[in-house]
Amino acid sequence: MSLSLTVNGDHLTSAADPVTPLVDVLREESYLTGAKPVCREGFCGACMVLIDGNPTPSCLMPVALAQGYDIRTVEGLAVNGGLNPIQAALEASDAVQCGMCFPGMVVSLTHLLTTCPEATRDDIRAALTGNICRCTGYERIIEATLLALATK
Amino acid sequence: MSDASATMNFGRRDAADKLRGRTRYTIDRYLPGMLHAAVLRADVPSGRIARLDIAKAARMPGVRAIVTAADAPGMVGIGIADHPLFARDVIRYDGEPIAAIAADTLIQARAALAAIDVEIEPLPVVLTMADALAPDAPLVHPDWRNYEVLLEGGARGGNVAWEATVVRGDVDTAFARPDVEIIESSFRVGRQNHVAFEPRAVIASYEDERFHIETSTQVPWSVRNATARLLAVPASQVRVTVPPVGGGFGLKFDIAIEPFAALLARASGRSVRLVNSREEEMLTCLFRENAEIRIRSAVTRDGEIAGREAVVLMDCGAYGGEQIFLTTMTAHTLGGNYSLGAVRLVSRAVYTNTAPNGAFRACNGVYNTFALERHTDEIAARIGMDPLAFRRRNVLGDGDLGATGQVFEGDVLGPMLDRMDTMRDAAAMPPERADGRLYGRATAVGTWFVFVGPSAATVNMNADGTATLVTSGVEIGSGSMMQALPQIVAGALGLSPNDVIVRAADTDAAGYDVGVGGGRTTVSLGAASLSAAQEVRTKLLKVASEMIEAAPEDLVMRSGRIEIAGAPGSGRLISEVAARAQGQIGPISGTGAFTGAGVPAMPGCVAGHFIDAIDIPVFAVHDCEVAVDTETGHVEVLSYRVVQDVGRALNPRAICGQIQGGVVQGLGYALHEEVTIGSNGRVCQNGFETYRVPLALDVVPVEINLYEGAPSIGPLGTKGAGEVPILNVAAAVACAIADATGKPIRELPLTPPRVLELLLDQRSTLSLPHIAEAWTDNLVRPHSAGGSN
Repeated sequence: MSLSLTVNGDHLTSAADPVTPLVDVLREESYLTGAKPVCREGFCGACMVLIDGNPTPSCLMPVALAQGYDIRTVEGLAVNGGLNPIQAALEASDAVQCGMCFPGMVVSLTHLLTTCPEATRDDIRAALTGNICRCTGYERIIEATLLALATK
Repeated sequence: MSDASATMNFGRRDAADKLRGRTRYTIDRYLPGMLHAAVLRADVPSGRIARLDIAKAARMPGVRAIVTAADAPGMVGIGIADHPLFARDVIRYDGEPIAAIAADTLIQARAALAAIDVEIEPLPVVLTMADALAPDAPLVHPDWRNYEVLLEGGARGGNVAWEATVVRGDVDTAFARPDVEIIESSFRVGRQNHVAFEPRAVIASYEDERFHIETSTQVPWSVRNATARLLAVPASQVRVTVPPVGGGFGLKFDIAIEPFAALLARASGRSVRLVNSREEEMLTCLFRENAEIRIRSAVTRDGEIAGREAVVLMDCGAYGGEQIFLTTMTAHTLGGNYSLGAVRLVSRAVYTNTAPNGAFRACNGVYNTFALERHTDEIAARIGMDPLAFRRRNVLGDGDLGATGQVFEGDVLGPMLDRMDTMRDAAAMPPERADGRLYGRATAVGTWFVFVGPSAATVNMNADGTATLVTSGVEIGSGSMMQALPQIVAGALGLSPNDVIVRAADTDAAGYDVGVGGGRTTVSLGAASLSAAQEVRTKLLKVASEMIEAAPEDLVMRSGRIEIAGAPGSGRLISEVAARAQGQIGPISGTGAFTGAGVPAMPGCVAGHFIDAIDIPVFAVHDCEVAVDTETGHVEVLSYRVVQDVGRALNPRAICGQIQGGVVQGLGYALHEEVTIGSNGRVCQNGFETYRVPLALDVVPVEINLYEGAPSIGPLGTKGAGEVPILNVAAAVACAIADATGKPIRELPLTPPRVLELLLDQRSTLSLPHIAEAWTDNLVRPHSAGGSN
């Protein structure tokens, strides 16, 4: 059976077992390795992708269920080939350390910027509970998000 | 060179690709035709392998190679070589590797694991240090006497893998003084999991009779040497390269799964990818060790510490590992904060049938600082002195002696405490709250050190005016390789740090290095890099002096030019000089090497130590306010302040990022990160659902003050800044909770149930009967009564 996916606007087919987690198909068949399978329990957010615009852990989604949706990974979030506003703010704020959680962070925060332009510091902290970072202590990420909101 | 030219808030050049998801960590690398590997692990904590038959597994679909203990004859370790790659006849912990398989797909490899026929006869188990130290305890290593000793001097015996002692002065006499109070405290702490986001991962190949190992590690040279030792091949047959590393925190400061992949690559003739599952990481992660501590002090009414003794038990798990080395640290983490009269300390690494422990950011220091600071508050309470006044009276100053007799230089902790007072006074007073919670605050001091050790660097000057820095340093996220080192090289050569290319670690290309950890990168690799850059500078100036017709000493390097001092815009571009040199005398390069000269201990007062004293002490003062909910036991951290001794802040913004991150990791350790081991010997927390790391909602912004100017042998006066931020956190939080509740805090983490038990006086007194009452009864190797020196 062949599966049909739309990823970052491209049409892809996959021969994977339908229950294979989406993250594995993205990484191993399309080499879209931005999404990181860190916890594989849906807790850490490092494998977050947008499914029809909604942040979703791709480790919990069987690939068959992702058919028919617009799947967008961190690789598809650039603007005109450059960094999008939250990526630019995270870079300017020197927020990135080991970087493994950041693709998922970027996905969640890009969504927050779009849907909640009035977000406060507490809103951002709450929005980040699905994205765990082990390096930074979050503060720079929150600062960067406020910066991106302010300059949007 | 101009020192100031190296100081800046240079941003990270690796950030944009990390944010785009383009950075290829080891887990993101897929080679054409590679195989996938999986490891068979024991599911009992102690047993004898009665039968191991791989014949059926070898016939399973897709299987290309299977390796077992027969393929890996060597043993590794620190101090003693006690650790084989695979369990050899005997299982010593749940999760110990028994065999590894490479197959065309990971699913096939895992299916084949299930087809290995293994029969294990149970053996007696020791799961706790109390069990291990019982008089008739079964031995985790019955043949410990036969192991190769790699460093002489540590006492060993039974389940005590290693013992290090400090004996300075006459503690018995100090404790017998009529003018002292004797205060005794006991503590117990659990294990902490690093939870590095990138699991340990490796891709190995075998070509032209050499192994190439691409791996997520902090220690490429250690991986090279240990792999060779385990496989019984010359170290020169192993090449290690390191892609960007997705977090380390000490987890990757030891060999891990690399030799399995190397063996399978040789056996199959194909590249082999091996990545730990999250569950494997959670169960066998070389945790920060659990520890049990007793401290006893003799203190006068006016606050003089006349004598102190301590026993520290460090659980090393089934193999000695890093704990053997870390027994050394107790001398400095318990004996490097306060002026002491007589002192005796013993630190023991104890074998148990549990997963081996390892290094974790400020290893040994976080719990000893917790114990010492809680003990300090108990002393202050007993003698009726303000805890801050007691600290101020006793913190080490210029010329004071540490536990090993090391003479400390400079007054650092005293002025840092003053600075914390200023920060605290400047902060807005917290509003009066009538929410029924209990409020407390505390200030804690801590001493850590930079683990110096040898490093090498080469700087190649390119004809386009850029410089390439070649080292074995690894970027694990701290920014040392992406920010500090390019800044140092650029400062010496008058370049922009953007024009310094940093070569990824490759043991075939760069000289020996101890590894990235212990806050040593900026110091050791930085010093080697500075030395290499200075050689390039000298050579370039010689060529330039002929081109510009000026003496080299009259020239400066700045903004990509070599100019006559005081005449901006004169002279030539560095690229022009480099190109001329390349044509006339050949490409210009420089090499540098560095290691600590070593600071001696007082003769005869230490035994079993890997280092006598601290080359570069690093001090920290932390302060926090907490609120404790009396209904739930939940602790909220209301404010957090740090004054950290950084020597010299090369990149203040990067250092502050390390401090915020380190404090939050420490808050997890203090408040909710808890690893427990079940009666079956298995770690109970096997994933993110059961092991709770701090979330954005748990933390506060840390107010930071960087203290500069303390003595350091680091390049440009620097010290490592990434290791230290976690050091005092559990101490500050525990002392603040004790201040809020008035209850004795003896254990970490301070989870809501544990705090609630304290509030309700339902927490039984901590008892450590396996720590003998008389200090000398805790020793494998007795010391003469009254000590020495």
